[in-house]
Amino acid sequence: MIFGRHSVLKRGCSTWDPKQVPQELFHSRLNAVREEMARRNLDALVIYGDNYSFADLCYLTNYFPKVRGGITVVPRAGAISMLLNIGSRDVPFAKTLTWVEDVRASNLVGADGAKLLKEKGFEKAKIGLVDSGQGFPLPQIEEMKAALPNVSWQDCAPMLQPLRLVKTAQELAAMREAGRLLREICAGAGGFIKSGRKEYEIVADIDRLARDKGVEDIRILAGEKRLNPPSFKQAATIDDHWAIYLAVQHERYWAEAGRTFVLSGDAKIAAAYQKAQEIVAAVANQLKPNGAVAAIDDTARRELGEFYATASMYGLANGIGLNQWEAPFLTESDAREVGAASVGATTLNESMTLALRVTFETEGKMIFYGDSFEVTASGAKSLLK
Amino acid sequence: MRDKGLDALLVYESGRHNFLRMNYVAYLTDFISVGPETMLVVPLEDAPVLFLSPAWDIPRAQEESWVSDVRPFKEFWSRLPSIAGKVGFVGRESMNAGLHDEIVKSLGALPVNAKDIIENMARSKTAFELARLRRAAEVADAGVSALNEEARPGLKEYELAAIVEYRMRSLGAEDNFGMVVANSHNQALHPATDRIVQTGDIIIGEITPCIGGLFVQICRTMVLGEPLPVVSEKYAILKKGMSLGMAAAKTGAPASDIAAAINGTFIEAGYEDYCRPPFMRVRGHGLGCGSFAPGSLEDANKTKLEKGMTFIIHPNQYLPETGYLTLGDTVVMGETKAESLMRSSWDIFIKE
Repeated sequence: MIFGRHSVLKRGCSTWDPKQVPQELFHSRLNAVREEMARRNLDALVIYGDNYSFADLCYLTNYFPKVRGGITVVPRAGAISMLLNIGSRDVPFAKTLTWVEDVRASNLVGADGAKLLKEKGFEKAKIGLVDSGQGFPLPQIEEMKAALPNVSWQDCAPMLQPLRLVKTAQELAAMREAGRLLREICAGAGGFIKSGRKEYEIVADIDRLARDKGVEDIRILAGEKRLNPPSFKQAATIDDHWAIYLAVQHERYWAEAGRTFVLSGDAKIAAAYQKAQEIVAAVANQLKPNGAVAAIDDTARRELGEFYATASMYGLANGIGLNQWEAPFLTESDAREVGAASVGATTLNESMTLALRVTFETEGKMIFYGDSFEVTASGAKSLLK
Repeated sequence: MRDKGLDALLVYESGRHNFLRMNYVAYLTDFISVGPETMLVVPLEDAPVLFLSPAWDIPRAQEESWVSDVRPFKEFWSRLPSIAGKVGFVGRESMNAGLHDEIVKSLGALPVNAKDIIENMARSKTAFELARLRRAAEVADAGVSALNEEARPGLKEYELAAIVEYRMRSLGAEDNFGMVVANSHNQALHPATDRIVQTGDIIIGEITPCIGGLFVQICRTMVLGEPLPVVSEKYAILKKGMSLGMAAAKTGAPASDIAAAINGTFIEAGYEDYCRPPFMRVRGHGLGCGSFAPGSLEDANKTKLEKGMTFIIHPNQYLPETGYLTLGDTVVMGETKAESLMRSSWDIFIKE
């Protein structure tokens, strides 16, 4: 799995256009969640999200925390509420990003979350806790639980995962748009990557290009021998080759890509990069409805042979959507690394979305290629095309 | 550790480096992790071991930190049962309950919360940290200059934010808590939208670049076109508050003195009712990674200002006539008083 330097604030464009993403969409999602709550006999659900991992919270509310985190309280019936770790002056802006009317501010989400649950009559209730990103800070959750000694808590971390697994047409449209922007950013990046430039200067150029296109967030890792997050310590000037990982969030949804820029005429490196692209294409051929998720790994092993271990260093594949890393995962180990309870699915379905990537090392240089795909009835389709 | 009778310290970070709280692992190792699990095990006598995920980031950790023994996080679980004696724990704020429960189970005992050990060490910045902070301040000033040079009607708010960030990243900034917004009457700072900037807009910015994990912050206000007289008049209150806040920042004085000086300025100008949320939040705050000390600059904070503490003083304020206006500098406490790290003028910047 690829982790980038997580920014302290999501500082890209932050808007919600209800004409594009209508409120009714969230009502149908809410109904589906409530059906599951009823099945589990839950009186309420507490969903935690932060600017690092916001998928479940955003799925129901359209809100994504810009900094810190917050909870959504979902009763079995009636209005849902959000309690966010923001200042009271930030509430009007927060409301521009969500259809939820009851948005509250607190810097004590645990203690005030307990008060909110009491206010809604859940002092002795059975409450499910969804924290699939495992971000709910320990002191806060301890405070919340301590203030509600008669609540029966149920860990519901994976509860929304099945609902998010197969994307709707609207979600796919959002992801294709993220992919389109990413394709343009990848193309533009080529103009910035020149021998002799400092790595962080190129990162700045790519970041600017993405921000000017209105993305909500971006992750960049790059390097000659390995992927590094932006750091003033990574001040090397690039030579004749550079590998880069890019992920952008647009309208809440992520798309990712990996590219290698070969500035010399080195045929061996160029051939290795071509091979990486061919292997990703071969693996992508396994992305078909009713195909086994395990076929992704099997194909990669077959294609890569002795290079499998190196090539899968950054993970060969994972689901992508509201989260950079979501189901389906290839292995339990991959799932655990991002706090997910399981691989999520063993069989692919139409409209699932996955990121694929392959890494080679050739003459001490890293070759990296990756792309994001949707599973269609006729096979894999790149979100960047 | 000896004073507290601790035999080992477990220091945790979840890869969410933030200026709002301390990154204890970064403070001790100079390595900023990106993965979800990083644990530094510090035995009382032996060499420390850094366990982290993802494993592919281990070479960077070895290169960027001074810790020589860096291992995949999964090996932490086999090491844990062998940690004997009284164990201190640092980093509960970034840990999730499930991981904490597993650690307690493996240890067979509840570790003692020992964050004070590091937070007390980190209250005053070292020369090493101050060098980075001064570099970050130069970068922040450059960000302000970029905004002054390039802001113009027709741009979208998110493009304004990108201008600032681009200049700073080009100079090596790793991250930025940056809010730059424009309106004729701003209600508050917020992340950028797609609103198109207009002539006459007041552009307010809170710009917070990071160098080597350390953040500085600068707040400034500019106007596109000649500002209305009321804007200049009210902005002068912020400048006066800033001056008085700086003057109140004396080594040994409580942090609340700064808040009192700034609030007094607004009260004197007739804005007592506005010296509370949602019209303002606090009059400044510590900047994390190294340490968040002295905390938020507010009336209740009696923390004594110490030489080497760094924090921002910002009399940012919503006023009914002008909307939200911003001004603030990161300062370092010297032998007797605060020194601003920034060089940008406190004047409102007017872009013709």
